[in-house]
Amino acid sequence: MTLKTCCVTAALILGIAAPAVVAHHSFSAEFDITKTVKVTGKVSSVRWSNPHAWIYIDVPGEDGKVVNWAFETATANALFRRGWRKDDLLPGTAVTAEGWLARNGTPTANTSAITLPDGRRLFAGSAPNEGTTR
Amino acid sequence: MSDSLMTITRVLSRTLVAASMLVSLLPIDVAAQAPVAPAPPPGPVARMPDGKPDLNGFFQSDHGGANWGLEPHKEAFTGGGRGVIIDPPDGKLPYQPWAREEKASRARPERGYDDPTAHCIVAGVPRSLWVPAPVHIFQTPDHVVFLHERMSWRTVYLNRKTHLPDTIRLWQGDSIGRWEGDTLVVETKNLNGKPWLNEVGDVISHTATIVERFTPVNANRIDYQVTVTDPSVYTRPWTAQIPINRQPGEMLEVACLEDNQDLKHLKEVRDEARAKAAAEGAK
Repeated sequence: MTLKTCCVTAALILGIAAPAVVAHHSFSAEFDITKTVKVTGKVSSVRWSNPHAWIYIDVPGEDGKVVNWAFETATANALFRRGWRKDDLLPGTAVTAEGWLARNGTPTANTSAITLPDGRRLFAGSAPNEGTTR
Repeated sequence: MSDSLMTITRVLSRTLVAASMLVSLLPIDVAAQAPVAPAPPPGPVARMPDGKPDLNGFFQSDHGGANWGLEPHKEAFTGGGRGVIIDPPDGKLPYQPWAREEKASRARPERGYDDPTAHCIVAGVPRSLWVPAPVHIFQTPDHVVFLHERMSWRTVYLNRKTHLPDTIRLWQGDSIGRWEGDTLVVETKNLNGKPWLNEVGDVISHTATIVERFTPVNANRIDYQVTVTDPSVYTRPWTAQIPINRQPGEMLEVACLEDNQDLKHLKEVRDEARAKAAAEGAK
């Protein structure tokens, strides 16, 4: 199934996006590592919550209906150290978000990377080289 | 990234366009993910006036995924782990049978609520040094203090040789330290046994004695070894080893309880599992 079909299907089933939450514990219980997603749309809002931030993205489906996707990221501090700045994600910013799909069937994903309009691709999850020598 | 000071205020906000969020800083080099020239070799270990190593500064451990498993493990979302146990030689935690079962229980989603860090309580010793967050080490001749980004601290007393009375039990335990050459040797007792060793629920109890050895090898790196002796959990002592590397930048605030979304979800997962178990038990 293509991503767009996936998005449209999800939209048809759900109608609207449920407010998605994810466990601090057991990512694998909440997300499916085998199901990668990639969506392009516009940031609707960002929630700098703990212990994960959430980026909400309006993604137009093939049927013209817009689905609001919820992409979970690391904490604000971790994003900051990976080069993210709050002004990168103002509402209306066109972004491409990549991640792994939630198991619960909602348009929710655990983020691996976000690509910004200027071409920067910023990583959002755990950094494998974190803490290595600078 | 340069060593310039950055003024940081709260980055948490329910509305992105809150004008009160002021962040002034130098632009981050967009080429941070492009190849960079190799850094110059680090200098020698810095020294305090009394000649002891100077551990002051801002660091992060190269934790090797220890917060999701001390043994080698694959975990796609967090990058997996290389395994940090150097003794026993097979790299496996020498669990007593009851403790092995308890760890397996803790790995279940419905027990995520029982991890104290999910409640924003301290990660404890030694977990605070392998969570994916930095640490600032503040050192005087009499004290070494670890400042952790989730706004907790641990004091190592260099001016005391005996532990607090056994009846005093602490989340961070009681740490006393001494120098052996260039190695800071820290012994921690008086633990309350409540922390988990990591998110997958590796076990430590109030009967543990923890001995840590911090050996700076150059200006930018501390070799860290920790030996845990816990007679009610393990069949023998075990030792883990993790490098701790100096970082550019500085501590930020992590106000874990602010707009915490996970805790209520973890409680729902727990309550759902309990309801299901009760329903099945009633049949």
